[in-house]
Amino acid sequence: MTATSDPFSLHAEPLFLDFFYLLRDYDVPVSLTEIIDIYRGLEKGLVKTLDELFLLMRLALVKRVEHLDSFERAFALYFYDIDLPAVAEGDRDLLHTKQFREWLEQAVESGEIPQSKLWQMSRDELMEKFWERVREQMEAHHGGNRWVGTGGTSPFGHSGHSERGIRVHGQWKNRSAIKVIGDRRYVSYDDHQTLTGANIRQVLGTLKHMVPVGPHDELDLDETIRETGRNGGEIDLVFKRRELDRIKLILFIDNGGTSMLPFVKHVQLLFSKVRDRFQDTKIYYFHNTIYGHVYKNPRRTDAVPLEKVLQESPESRVFFIGDASMAPEELFSDYGAIEWGREDALPSIERLKHLQARFKYSVWLNPIPAGEWDITYGRYTLSAIRDVFHMEDLSLGGIKKAVTYLQEKAGV
Amino acid sequence: MTQFTGTEQYYLDPELEAIVNMAIAMEKPLLLTGEPGTGKTQLAFEISRSLGTGIEILRAKSTIKGEEACYVQDTVLRLNDARFGTENTGRDVNRFHDYVIWGPIGRAFRSEKRVVLLLDEIDKTESDVQDNLLDVLEDNQFVMREINETVTAAQPPIIIITSNAKRELSDPFLRRCFCHHIAFPSVEDMRQIVALHFPEMKASLMEPALNIFYELRERGFEKPPATSELLNWLGAMIHAGVTPEKTEDLPFPGTLLKRTNDILSFRNKDKKGTSRKRGWGGY
Repeated sequence: MTATSDPFSLHAEPLFLDFFYLLRDYDVPVSLTEIIDIYRGLEKGLVKTLDELFLLMRLALVKRVEHLDSFERAFALYFYDIDLPAVAEGDRDLLHTKQFREWLEQAVESGEIPQSKLWQMSRDELMEKFWERVREQMEAHHGGNRWVGTGGTSPFGHSGHSERGIRVHGQWKNRSAIKVIGDRRYVSYDDHQTLTGANIRQVLGTLKHMVPVGPHDELDLDETIRETGRNGGEIDLVFKRRELDRIKLILFIDNGGTSMLPFVKHVQLLFSKVRDRFQDTKIYYFHNTIYGHVYKNPRRTDAVPLEKVLQESPESRVFFIGDASMAPEELFSDYGAIEWGREDALPSIERLKHLQARFKYSVWLNPIPAGEWDITYGRYTLSAIRDVFHMEDLSLGGIKKAVTYLQEKAGV
Repeated sequence: MTQFTGTEQYYLDPELEAIVNMAIAMEKPLLLTGEPGTGKTQLAFEISRSLGTGIEILRAKSTIKGEEACYVQDTVLRLNDARFGTENTGRDVNRFHDYVIWGPIGRAFRSEKRVVLLLDEIDKTESDVQDNLLDVLEDNQFVMREINETVTAAQPPIIIITSNAKRELSDPFLRRCFCHHIAFPSVEDMRQIVALHFPEMKASLMEPALNIFYELRERGFEKPPATSELLNWLGAMIHAGVTPEKTEDLPFPGTLLKRTNDILSFRNKDKKGTSRKRGWGGY
């Protein structure tokens, strides 16, 4: 054995380096600690099959469930030469992926799908054909442990194969790495899928407001010692109240107008999660902007005067959700409300300022991505509202930033 | 080191088995995430049973401090002894050690044999507490700060950590663990799990029940039914001697759906044959 062919020698090119870089291209963060963990695992002889390599790498490298799908796709590309798109089967976004376009081009070129037929096929048929092809590729790999992309540096010829055989676990065959990847169990957690229930809940988890509540039943040791000392050694127990999370949340949701329609699903999801996480939540609805009333129900028939809402605890954490885009007069004129039967002498922007002054822990979440705020059709009113409220966009990152902003403001 | 394998009461996914054995071999804490009812906590008990070791459990609360997991000092008792004397309890007010109550980490470190240490629902704690705990676990030692004495683990414990993702865990924390997300069991896995609990179950009950169960999970309830709900539901049906026929006409829906909203929307859907799409009306 020469020095260079020994994968653990100091002079050898470390294994799978391109794979770690590939992972970074797939937005899976990889650091040196984790890579070293993998090498340690290889040295300990934990890996005898490609399936076990898959497990070890996934254990060591993937720390968050939202990265799992990306990891599996990168693994499929590197070790099996299968380029999976970042969407689940049946998702129409497939049509926009690079993988789909490349496949189609190549299928037409090779005559697999003749030009003449192409125009008769529906999108669904094309998508079905694409996935069929992917499944065929996966099937071809299942069972056969082919090493692709290692450039022949596989260390496993030295130890595993000859001595102890390939498989250590009998039943293990049923779930080979390629099958696990084929399940795509984690595609809905992927970051690129924007908001999902699981990741929203995580982000909202940090929002807290600790206040002393309940009976004085926790021993305050410092006070006890001080009082006991003052008492000449006669014990004087001092109790305090425990600190508990008593956060109150108020949400104002813009559910009017077609401009908010595309975001309904996100908003709904966000707030079913909010109700899960926070017991004390009040939800109000409005159309475009806020005048003298907000509404308790999404159909906006059950009006609540704004004065009443302003009586809520000023400690409440308040979220406004809306695109903040409307005709300027809706925001700035007296009697600006566009809905019939609602007249309000105060311009809406003044109402918003009241709300902001009362609730210092408030943020505005805008479903329009932050990068487009300066070019959207409603930029004029949007920037006016941004002057009043701290605004973030309604993405996972935006919600994270909004929560951090609120926590910092509260000095947590 | 002996290998961890499934036991009679516990169906072990072969993938999970390999993962646990890797984590043990690498002496890395194993962080398990996944929705409630996927058997995260149960796994730690099974590891201890399968390897024949003891288990120490830290059930996390939001108010817990890292130190408490190692030890606490019984201050009230010591104050009391200082004032009224120890008499013949054998305690000495001047000896700190007489007033120490060991926490789960303290007990795991002091144990002569290797034990399984379960940190359950770690996500409930504050993030600095988490980092603190991992410092302790990585070094396999902690300092009792009142007397500046170091307690070192005789045998590094097998550390299993569970998280329900109530909040996000910090990056440094994650970096120190091996992480595994337990996906919800597939139909085949579920069949095995059910068979372990109800060995005499007939296929005429099992198959329609599983179909309905997975269909209900797809419907997007606030709290989708999980494994424990399925098992309770099957138990109730066996007890009553009924079989489910159609999704619309379930026996004991209350064992599967727990939230009022879920039960209401389930009932409404049955009556009208339409799903609850009107919530956002009024555009």
